[in-house]
Amino acid sequence: MRFLISLAWKNLSRYRRRTMITAGALAVGLVFFIFMDGWLQGAERESERNIIWYESGSAKVTTVEYLEDLKSMPLKHAIDDPAAVEGVLEGTGVTSTRRTVFAGEIFHGEGSLYAKVIALDPGTDENIYKLSETVTQGRYLQPGDQGVLLGDWLAQDLGVEVGEEIIIRTRTRFGAFQTLDLIVTGVLNSPNPVINKGTAFIPLSLADEALEMDGAVTELTLYFPEWQNPEDKIRIIEDRLSSIPGITVQSWKDLAQDFLMIAQAKSAGSSILLVLVFIIAAVGISNTMLMAVYERVREIGMMRAMGMKDGAIRATFLFEAGGIGLLGAAIGVGLGVIVNWLMVTRGINMMALMGRMDIGYRVTGIFYGAWHPQAIVGGFVFGVIAAMLFSIIPSSRALKMEITDCLRYE
Amino acid sequence: MIKVENVTKIYKVGQTAVHALRGVTLNIEEGEFLSIAGPSGSGKTTLLNLIGCLDKASSGEIYISEEAVSSKNKKELALLRRQRLGFVFQSFNLIPVLSAYENVSFALSLLGINGTQIRERTYGILEEVGLKGLEKRLPGELSGGQQQRVAVARALIKEPDMVLADEPTANLDSDTGREILDLMVALNQKHGTTFVFSTHDRMVMDYAHRLILLHDGQVTADERRA
Repeated sequence: MRFLISLAWKNLSRYRRRTMITAGALAVGLVFFIFMDGWLQGAERESERNIIWYESGSAKVTTVEYLEDLKSMPLKHAIDDPAAVEGVLEGTGVTSTRRTVFAGEIFHGEGSLYAKVIALDPGTDENIYKLSETVTQGRYLQPGDQGVLLGDWLAQDLGVEVGEEIIIRTRTRFGAFQTLDLIVTGVLNSPNPVINKGTAFIPLSLADEALEMDGAVTELTLYFPEWQNPEDKIRIIEDRLSSIPGITVQSWKDLAQDFLMIAQAKSAGSSILLVLVFIIAAVGISNTMLMAVYERVREIGMMRAMGMKDGAIRATFLFEAGGIGLLGAAIGVGLGVIVNWLMVTRGINMMALMGRMDIGYRVTGIFYGAWHPQAIVGGFVFGVIAAMLFSIIPSSRALKMEITDCLRYE
Repeated sequence: MIKVENVTKIYKVGQTAVHALRGVTLNIEEGEFLSIAGPSGSGKTTLLNLIGCLDKASSGEIYISEEAVSSKNKKELALLRRQRLGFVFQSFNLIPVLSAYENVSFALSLLGINGTQIRERTYGILEEVGLKGLEKRLPGELSGGQQQRVAVARALIKEPDMVLADEPTANLDSDTGREILDLMVALNQKHGTTFVFSTHDRMVMDYAHRLILLHDGQVTADERRA
């Protein structure tokens, strides 16, 4: 065995340039895979955090009817007695805040845009959401404000600035038209593009009066620390809520299905990259091993004439390919880790590259990578094994030849 | 030791059947220094390949120590070659990435012999073939004659019953060829190893103690010399 490994190593050194080119191709594939995987992982984790912190909290309590017609945000299906809901949730370790969400057309100057308007309680909203930390112009909402806080992109699209007036046209809970004249108190630029591009925030007290809510709200946002695996907590909350008819709870995972589907699709994309690495290994290693085998047909013939077992000859090529795989995988993983480290610490400013383009992730500005050790180790092992597998066909081809043909081979 | 009985070998070249050997019968005794001679295409290499179990006869039988070769499977033939036969090829066929020492010791490692024994025997045989001090050189750093000496050492190190040499001097100048033949004669006398080689070179034939002439795949003469 030692002899075979030593022979394989010497043969690799003999064709140093070819070995390096093949290993290099494998390495490039692995670097790309580790980079993409780390990037997607980072974007996914950051998106999840940004959904929790800016969009949905850990879960939302709504009426069943409101949930069924969530897209049109019907105020008529609001929770009439939010205090009762808060009462049953006491002692579950859940933090909650009241919100009323409705659709509105926002007018400024001669233009208008449709947006989602969220009426929030400035006193308790900050216990769950981090909107106040993202205000870049003006200030955050205060109770009793006749003002509105706008997402950065929405403010830009409306051409409105802090201190200017806008009008929101909507319908009350009972379907009557209502207009709200509001002063822009602040503009926020959150890491979640969904918030930036089409959301306006007003104080809950203002909405309560203007929309004839009479204390009703469309949702209670909940936060609990176990948000990453919310299933158990949701079961406890469901159990408590069963005493109030017509009320339901949805975890952030249920509410962010669009994102999860995109994340899943992109994770499939990452698997396609692994297949690409596999193809690079297949073409590169097969070709290199084919050349190595055909250059050494007489050598193979001599070894067989001397009584060397076919398995041992095959093993020599297997070790050679394994050596290329090991070299390529080591270089690929080494460089991949460096690239990933840069991605984790510095990231890529996608805004600079793509502007406001929405790519499905709840991330704006700088996209950071994340460490994904399974992918790095898996990529390494996969590179070596794939390389070894692809040496089997060429060496088997040479071993099928008659010994005398091998010895005569020119 | 070797009995060749009415052996034929037919190759198919496209639709044509080429009769390389037509009913060859001969016996080779232990310790012989035998040359199979004849012009190109006479069937020398084919006969050598059949005796060396590198190829199978179309008909007839070859016996090695009274065991019929045709009854053996691929693995048994490989084992037989590994343990009992040595080969010297016209173009040396050394492994270019291995040193002279490694090329020779390779034959022993195939037999599963341990490290100390390999070292002693390899240095010993390399000294015997006149390559002392050149053990670490790669084949590319050796002359043609030195490379063929390495090949002879590789064939002999496992102490085979028989060494088969296919035109061993064809790629060497006459002086170097003579040196190699002198070496083979000396080793034949010292170790009693049977040498069978093919040639069409008159000088090589003169070294043989027994000369078998082939023509068109048939034995035309079998001369024993003093």
